[in-house]
Amino acid sequence: MRDASLEDGFARRDAVAYEAAYRSFGARMHATAFRLLRDREGAHECVHDVFLHLWRHRSGYVRARGSLEAFLVTCVRNAALTQLRSGNRRLKMISKLETAEEYVMEEDPIERERIARALAQLSEGQADVVERAYYGGMTLSEVATELSIPIGTVKGRLSSALRALRRSLIPETSDGT
Amino acid sequence: MEPKAHIGENAELYAVGTLDARERAAVETHVSECSECRRRLGEAEETVLALERDVRVDPLAFAVAAPLRLHRREVPAWWLPVAAAAALIVGMALPSLFAQRESPTLAMIHSHFNHAQFSGSNAPPAKVIYARDRSWYYVIVEGSHRYGVYGVGNGRSVEIGSTQPKGESSELFVRDGLPFDRVELRDGVRVIEAAMIR
Repeated sequence: MRDASLEDGFARRDAVAYEAAYRSFGARMHATAFRLLRDREGAHECVHDVFLHLWRHRSGYVRARGSLEAFLVTCVRNAALTQLRSGNRRLKMISKLETAEEYVMEEDPIERERIARALAQLSEGQADVVERAYYGGMTLSEVATELSIPIGTVKGRLSSALRALRRSLIPETSDGT
Repeated sequence: MEPKAHIGENAELYAVGTLDARERAAVETHVSECSECRRRLGEAEETVLALERDVRVDPLAFAVAAPLRLHRREVPAWWLPVAAAAALIVGMALPSLFAQRESPTLAMIHSHFNHAQFSGSNAPPAKVIYARDRSWYYVIVEGSHRYGVYGVGNGRSVEIGSTQPKGESSELFVRDGLPFDRVELRDGVRVIEAAMIR
């Protein structure tokens, strides 16, 4: 259920709305960042940095775009991937080495099954790029190289895969929410 | 009036996180003016959120454990030269503490360790890995620039050493350090980022 006053307050850069958004969605954002960074402290920093960045600059969020939670999760996913790609290999390697034993997240078995069913409906080509680009955090060129396909094909498959996943995972509603 | 060239598949590529900063900025600019692409981007973001729901989270526990700080405290500029001078004096008084250097890999194999990321505005990615008993510190900074490394604890600031370029990073490994509360990276007298030691 979306909270219109929270989302409008966030769009207006209201500090109270920022605090409320953090309380409501910070944990989900942290899980997203942690899944990519495998580093709890790094994930905390990533979530904070996203809020600080949005606070200091224009967030660009408006309700017409979609839910605030989805917007924030996308922001933190982009931030975490940027951090992974900008850090040198040694930093990445050590980060994964030292936190591997802590990489435990509580699964939601119902949602996991739903997502697995949706992924199973993708074509083999779509599933290949989703596995690498979404779950593996690989760049488009890395995916293209690994699968020996043009980068344009990777883009097309990733885009169509995400739209197919949307049709499977998100029921249409009359008001678009 | 809405722009003609729509973002197309870049909506999904943005949400998945495969666009670079320049491409993301172009998408943001476009969707601020184009309702059709804004809706497509929003749908892609909702799909990403749906894919993230396979993990349970506890919002209350997270917010309590790590409260949001929208206004990070700035260090007053006048303090920096004073701190640098104090660090120099203390560092000169403790010349033998940080003389020993050896392999950080061996140190990590032989002891339990934690790590902390440095944070600072416009600062390079950096982290410090340290023994839980604080017997050694290993600082790694992206890039080849040399930084001064200072430890802060018990009201004292001590120069630990300076990072040395090593491949794509600049590093410093020191043994027999003090139990610091914070490690700072400095460029000259300017503190560019700090990591909390817990």
